[in-house]
Amino acid sequence: MIKRVFLVTVCAAFLLNFLTGCYDSREIDDWAYVIAIGMDKGKTHALKITLKFAVPKNIGGAESKGQGGGGGDGSTTDITLESPTLFSGLNMANNIISRQINLFHAKVIVFSKELAEDEIFERMITAFPRTINVRPEVFILVARDSAEEYVKGIQLQFEVNPTKFYELAYTTSHYTGFIAPITLRDFILRLKSYDRQPVGILAGVSRYKSSEDFDPQRTTNLEKGRAFPLEGDYFAGDIPKVSENKTEVMGLAVFDGARMVGELDGAETGLYLMVTGEFRSAYMTHPDPLVENSYVILNVNQGRKPVHSVKMSDGKPEISVKIMLEADIQVIQSGKNYESLEMKPLLQRTYEKFLEEGITRFLYKTSEEFHSDICGFGKSLKKRFLTWKEWEEFNWLSRYKDASFSVEVELKIRRPGLIIRTVPIKSSEE
Amino acid sequence: MSRIRFGKYETICLLVNLISTQTFLGFPRTMVEIAGTAGWILVIYVYVLTLILFLFISKLYSHFEGKDLLDIAEIAGGGVARVVVGSIIVAYLVFAVSIILREFSENMKVISYDASPVSYISLFFLSGMVISAYIGLEALMRYSGIAVPIIVTGLIAIFIGVSPFIDLENLMPILGNGLYDIFVKGVLRVSTFSPLIILYLFNPFIGSNRNFRQAGVYGISIAFVLMLLCTSIYLSVYPYPFSLQSFLPVHTMARTISLGRFFQRLESVFMFIWVTNALIYLSSGFFLINYVFKKTFNLVYYKPLIIPFAIIILSISLLPDNLMSVLKLVNDYFRSYVWITTFPIPILVLIAARYRVRGKKGVKAR
Repeated sequence: MIKRVFLVTVCAAFLLNFLTGCYDSREIDDWAYVIAIGMDKGKTHALKITLKFAVPKNIGGAESKGQGGGGGDGSTTDITLESPTLFSGLNMANNIISRQINLFHAKVIVFSKELAEDEIFERMITAFPRTINVRPEVFILVARDSAEEYVKGIQLQFEVNPTKFYELAYTTSHYTGFIAPITLRDFILRLKSYDRQPVGILAGVSRYKSSEDFDPQRTTNLEKGRAFPLEGDYFAGDIPKVSENKTEVMGLAVFDGARMVGELDGAETGLYLMVTGEFRSAYMTHPDPLVENSYVILNVNQGRKPVHSVKMSDGKPEISVKIMLEADIQVIQSGKNYESLEMKPLLQRTYEKFLEEGITRFLYKTSEEFHSDICGFGKSLKKRFLTWKEWEEFNWLSRYKDASFSVEVELKIRRPGLIIRTVPIKSSEE
Repeated sequence: MSRIRFGKYETICLLVNLISTQTFLGFPRTMVEIAGTAGWILVIYVYVLTLILFLFISKLYSHFEGKDLLDIAEIAGGGVARVVVGSIIVAYLVFAVSIILREFSENMKVISYDASPVSYISLFFLSGMVISAYIGLEALMRYSGIAVPIIVTGLIAIFIGVSPFIDLENLMPILGNGLYDIFVKGVLRVSTFSPLIILYLFNPFIGSNRNFRQAGVYGISIAFVLMLLCTSIYLSVYPYPFSLQSFLPVHTMARTISLGRFFQRLESVFMFIWVTNALIYLSSGFFLINYVFKKTFNLVYYKPLIIPFAIIILSISLLPDNLMSVLKLVNDYFRSYVWITTFPIPILVLIAARYRVRGKKGVKAR
C-alpha cells in the first residue's frame, strides 16, 4: 500500500512538473494577433507586407464605453515593412514589436493586383498551405491598387470586434451576389486543379472623397451594350459612394494558374455564382418591359443547382448550362400589374432573356478573353474519362479557350410580396 | 494470465482501434498515392482480400481452439518453431510500435507542440505505454471498450462536419491510376489489416472459435467502413492531385470544418480522439511485445521486461533522422511487407501444425 501511495505521489509530481511546465508555454497575451495581411511588390525586397493587428485591450475598452470600434479607436494597429518573403517579414516584425506574431486569427490575405499579375505571386501563395498558422478559411482578396492602402483603410463602422467585421464583410455575397466568398482553401484547391481555375475577391479603396466627385464613366454598362448602369456594373473602388470606411469589395479577380488575367464586375460575379450554383439571393434590377425609365426589382434566389453538360465536337468544347431561379417581386415602379397570371410570364421571360444574354457574355469573356475555366466545367467532362492519365493528357484547361456556350435560364416568380395586385396612382392630371 | 477472459465486444473495439490508427495518419493519402482518384476502390479491394484470407485462417484455427500462434508453432515444430515465430512477432511489434511512436510524436509536434523536442513528446506516450503494461491486458481491453466508441463518434463527427465540402465529381475518373495500380500494386496493402495478428495471440483469452471468427470479421468490417468513408470523403473534399499533398488527411479535413461563425477549429476534437487512439495502439502493442517475449522464452513474469523494452523502443523510435525518413520507412517498407507476419506465416504455421497433429494421430492409430 505504502509502495503504491509512493508511486502515485511520484507520478503526480512528475506530471505536475511536466504538464504545467513553462518550457514552451505561451500566454494568450504574449501574442500579437494579426487579423489582416496585405502583400504588395516591394522596392527594397520582393514584398511589401502590411500587417493589421487586433489590440484586445482597446476592443474591450470600446465595448465598455459603447463606442463604435474601428481602427480610429485603437482596436487595431498596422505595421508595414519590406522583406523577401512573408515569413521573413514576420521575423523582422517580431524583432520590432514586443509580442510574438500569431497568424491563427488572420481573417484575410490581400494581394495587390500588381503582385497577382506577376510570376512571383505563385511563390507567395504556395507558402500558405504548408503552415499550420494560417487557417484554410482565410479570405483571399486582390486589391486593384495597393494592398497596403486597402488593409490600412478599413474602418469598422458597425463592429466593436475587428475580427467580426472581417468574418461578416466577405460573406455579403449571400445576399448581394457581388462577390464570392473565396477562401484560401478554395483558392489553393483550384490552383492545383486540372478542371477549374482560381478566382479571388476584388477589393479596392474608393476613389471618391465627396459625392461631387462621382464619375458616371467608371461603370461597365457600355461594354455590355446598355446605356444606363445597374447596381452591379462596377469594380471595387469605382462604386459611387462616400462613407467613413473607404474600402470596398466588388467583383472577382480571375486567374489562369497562378497569374491574374482579368476582372469581373459585381454583376458578372452574380452570374458566376449562378453558373456555379453558389448564388443564394440578391435583389436584381431590370428595366420595365413595358414602361420606359422604370424598373422592376426581383428578389432572386437559386431554385435548384445548375445543370452543366459538356461535349466535344471537332476537338472543341460545347458547353450547355441550365440555370433554375426563383424570385419574389420586390418593386414595380411602373404600377403595371405584373403579379397577374397573364402578365407574369412576360416579366419572367424578360428576366430570363436578360440573364441568358448576360451569362453568355460572361462565359465567352472567361473563355475567349481570360482562357480560364473559373466555373469548373471541366468537372462535368472529367467523368467521361476512365483513368487520370487519359484526363491529364486531354489537357482540358488549354482547350477551354475554344469553348462555345448555350445558356438556358428558367426563372419562376413565386410570390408578389405583400401586394397581390398593383393599383395605379391617380392624380388630377389624368 | 490464462484466467483472464474478455468478450467479443472488447476484442472488436481493440481491433478496430488498431486497424483504424492508420486512418489518423497518412492512410487516405497513401491510398490516393497508389490508386489516384480510385483510392476508395483500393480500400474495398484490400478489404475483400483480407476477409478471404482471414476466413481461411479462421478455418485452420478451428482445429486449435484456445491456443495462440505460439502454442500452435510449438505443436508444429517444437520449442524451436515457437522461438522463431515468437521472435519474428516481437521484431515486428518492436518495429511497429517504435515507428508509430515516432510518427505520432512527430505529428503532434507539427500540429500542436512545435516548440517541444520530439523526445519530450515521445516520453508522454511512453509513460502511458509503460503504465498500461503494468496494469495489464484486462484494463487495456476494458478501456478500449469505452474509448473506441468515442473515437469512432469523433471521427464520424469530422466526416459530418466536412460534408458540405463533399463533391463526388472529385472521385472521377473512376479508375484513377488504372487497373494495374489498383489490383496489382495495391495488393501489398493487405498490410493495412496486419493488426489482425493480435487475434492469433489473444485467442486463449477470447474463448471459442466462434468468438474468434466473429471478432475478426466484425473488427475488419467496422475498420473497413471507417477507412472507406475516410478515403472517399477525403478524396471528394480534396480533389486529386491536391490530395497527394496533405501530411495528415484527417487533420486537414478537421481544419476545414467551419459551420457558421460558431463551429470552427474542430481539430481540437481530432486531437482528443487522435491521442486516445494512438495511446491504445501503442499500449496494446507494447503489452504484446512483453507478453509474446515472455511466452516465447518461457519466462515466468513479463513485468521486469517493461522498462528495458520501453528504453529499446524509445531509442529505436529516435533513430530516423527526420520525419520524411519515418514516412518512407512506414510507407515503403513497413506497410508493404508487414502482411508477411499476419498472413503467410500464420498460415504456414497452422498448416504445419495441422499435418503434425494428423501425423501423430496416424502413428497412434497404427
